[in-house]
Amino acid sequence: MQQSHKPQTPILDVRDLAISYETRYGDVPAVRDVSFDIQRGEAHSIVGESGCGKSTVAFGIVNFLGRNGRIVNGQILFQGQDLVGRSPEELRQVRGDRIAMVYQDPMQALNPSMRIGDQMAEVLVVHRMMPRARALDYCVTMLKRVQMPDPENVIRRYPHQLSGGQQQRVVIGMALLNDPALLIMDEPTTALDVTVEATVLDLISTLQREFDTAIMYISHNLGVVARVSSKVAVMYAGEIVERAAVSDVYLSPYHPYTQGLMRCVPRLGQSKRESFLYPIRGRVPSPKNLPPGCIFEPRCDYARDLCRQRRPELRPIKLGHWGRCHFAEEIVQMGWQPPEDFVAQYTAERSVDAAARPLLKVTHAQTFYPVASQKLIGGKKQFVRAVDDVSIEVRKGETLGIVGESGCGKSTLVKTIVGMEKPTSGDFEFMGFDIAMPVSKRKLELIQELQMVFQNPDSTLNPSFSVGYQIGRPLRRFQTVPRGQVEGEVMRLLDMMKLGGRYYNRLPRQLSGGEKQRVGIARAIAGRPEVVLCDEPVSALDVSVQAAVLNLLLEIQKEIDTTMIFIAHDLSVVRFFCDNIAVMYLGQIAEIGPAEAIYAPPYHPYTEALLSAVPIPDPRAEQKHIRLEGAVPSALNPPSGCRFHTRCPRKIGKICETETPPWRDAGNGHRIFCHIPLAELRQMDPVVTVRPGNRLGRQHA
Amino acid sequence: MLVKDYMTRHPLMAAPDMSLVEAQRFMGQNNIRHLPVVGDGKRLLGLVTRQSLLIDPGRLGSLNVWEIAGVLSGLKVKDVMIKAPNVITVSQDITIEEAARVMVERRIGCLPVVQDDVLVGIITEVDLLAHLMEMMATRHPGIRVTVRMPDVRGELAKLVAAIAAQGWGILACGGVAAPKAAGKWDAAVLKMRDVTREEVIAALSQVEGHEIIDIRDA
Repeated sequence: MQQSHKPQTPILDVRDLAISYETRYGDVPAVRDVSFDIQRGEAHSIVGESGCGKSTVAFGIVNFLGRNGRIVNGQILFQGQDLVGRSPEELRQVRGDRIAMVYQDPMQALNPSMRIGDQMAEVLVVHRMMPRARALDYCVTMLKRVQMPDPENVIRRYPHQLSGGQQQRVVIGMALLNDPALLIMDEPTTALDVTVEATVLDLISTLQREFDTAIMYISHNLGVVARVSSKVAVMYAGEIVERAAVSDVYLSPYHPYTQGLMRCVPRLGQSKRESFLYPIRGRVPSPKNLPPGCIFEPRCDYARDLCRQRRPELRPIKLGHWGRCHFAEEIVQMGWQPPEDFVAQYTAERSVDAAARPLLKVTHAQTFYPVASQKLIGGKKQFVRAVDDVSIEVRKGETLGIVGESGCGKSTLVKTIVGMEKPTSGDFEFMGFDIAMPVSKRKLELIQELQMVFQNPDSTLNPSFSVGYQIGRPLRRFQTVPRGQVEGEVMRLLDMMKLGGRYYNRLPRQLSGGEKQRVGIARAIAGRPEVVLCDEPVSALDVSVQAAVLNLLLEIQKEIDTTMIFIAHDLSVVRFFCDNIAVMYLGQIAEIGPAEAIYAPPYHPYTEALLSAVPIPDPRAEQKHIRLEGAVPSALNPPSGCRFHTRCPRKIGKICETETPPWRDAGNGHRIFCHIPLAELRQMDPVVTVRPGNRLGRQHA
Repeated sequence: MLVKDYMTRHPLMAAPDMSLVEAQRFMGQNNIRHLPVVGDGKRLLGLVTRQSLLIDPGRLGSLNVWEIAGVLSGLKVKDVMIKAPNVITVSQDITIEEAARVMVERRIGCLPVVQDDVLVGIITEVDLLAHLMEMMATRHPGIRVTVRMPDVRGELAKLVAAIAAQGWGILACGGVAAPKAAGKWDAAVLKMRDVTREEVIAALSQVEGHEIIDIRDA
């Protein structure tokens, strides 16, 4: 309120910026015609899918374009002074210590061989010639301001001794040491768990107010953007297609691309039974080969002749809302209807026979990893209790989701089921067979029935074999089809993946991330397995691709009635995709039950905290504010009693520390592992409430 | 109400090697009257004001037109700025009235705010006037009344009690020794909302020895 008389010069004013990379094949225009401004103390986000040029814009501002990148047009005014076309020395003087940047991976920003205090103090000692002792003092103060627990101790540690969230706090604190006017954050929370992400996002908002620092926040996650910023620019293929206040962009987007993005993210609380994801058809055009008219025209449902001929300008559509579309006003009026064939394809209801015998039954499973003793002689062998007493059942045709923070044992559980890890104890029963053995000892038929889709398609496809050969390999190995029909079957699978026969001879490097993941899925289902175990199959993918891959998995499941176990850290995706959900914490299941029951009270306190941390791409959603303290304790020596008691905001007393909690049965297969009586758990308020209002493009057909 | 709450953080600043021509244009374009000059690590080196840009004609008197152009284009910010030891600065932890005192006594319009020689902000007369506005709740409509009372302890309390008895709240309040009446004190402004002028007059005239010398809607 007292800001009005302050100077009106924006902290950052980017005008008509164009950046190209020189390559062997000529200049690649990575960013074109980008204009936006950030006022003092404002948080401005840039969202877009990978390769849309958002990081290039940031690198252009800090002049990190590398050897082959250069600014070909436009101005970057930082506090009124142009940064383009200056010598490095002039740049250093203009920019001084007034722009700081925080990157995605904190471990790469920190020097692994220096103590935290030393590397933080270095900034002050070198830049400000502060005496070392004073600099260290100052660093402790700064660490306190970024809410680092026990800062006096932290400055003596090395980066690897801190958790991911703490490392990112150190990096943010370091960036703020020089009190920058502009802080550029490039996906700062993408590598963090939801619970940690939530605390870091809270911290960013607090610091922004306290330091009056303008923030340019780059992210692909629409939910995160809604939480941290007031304005957002949506980038597509190197251009800004829409720019406005966050609530305007989320509730009434004008550009067809933004509308498409909103339709392909599952909202928290929606399931596959009542809603669909609508992927955007086609793919992002390569910057070398742009369409002559509107860059989004080839993928747009509203494209007309004018769109093919003339490139639209970024124009004001209403006060404070810019869009790059010839027909923005009309499009919003028209509303959006999903393509008809699309609806027919996905509405058919699948039913799961609840009374059927479970296909896969795991009881009291334990998987421990031995760790060498710290002692030199005669030490007792220690174990990382990665999975400790887990019981799950999966019926035919059902999808079980497993969620939890990293290190909670979800991947180990799945790997044990598939046979990549040897179980320590417990019963593993699959179709009546005992599978408590590593994969090398299993019969071929068993291996065929249990297949896996991995998170990172890059590292699971052999780079030197063609796609067709790799999909054909399980067919030959398991003899699913006679030898002569292998090629035909691969073609059929490629069609099913919506890739088509022309992909047969391609190598993995010739595919995009989404396509690689489709090949991974094709390979997993080639042997027609009963159960497919998916370990974070979509977390490495962009949202529009993610929607397509999720739809594909649903379709496959419907067609060949596969049973799935689905691991993901994105709770909206899990809620959308799964029938049942198990929430894991530190090797144990905290809560298990039907998906809709998990997302409504009664909650396990851990589930409640997870849900309150999920960033929701809807500015009207109100979430309870629950933040977990500290990191997940070590599985080497898990806490006694209830393992969650060290971080539980609802801890009821001594009993949580000493006694293993009982299973509380909330009916309908919904069980909660907690000391708090069920009646009390039922009285919790729902974590997420959405104020009523129309939701553009979310209508059901 | 300390300087750090009212100063402008991250002010526009210049490097010492910026040409004077550019500095002049920069100040004009961004509509600022004071330009702090900083070196590495944002250490304050000097201050350019509009006065610094007025070049002494005597300095150019002996030159012809062409030489003048040459001299002007060669001038840099560091040639005309007030150099650091002579720039009056304040710390961000002093009160805002203390900053005002410094500005009034030194007859200057701007104070760079520094911490360990590093520029952290700037506070100008406009910031102080904005602060005055806020203190007087200028943005909130209400009845603004000036009451003159004896300069005796407990008199203000009587006035406040009279207002409290009506159940009204006070938006803003300030007092000053009456400029032209010795021994009197002006409870300069009492601002109240959701009341009428008549109600205020009726209520305050009850207080003995107090005189309403000004009342208006503001």
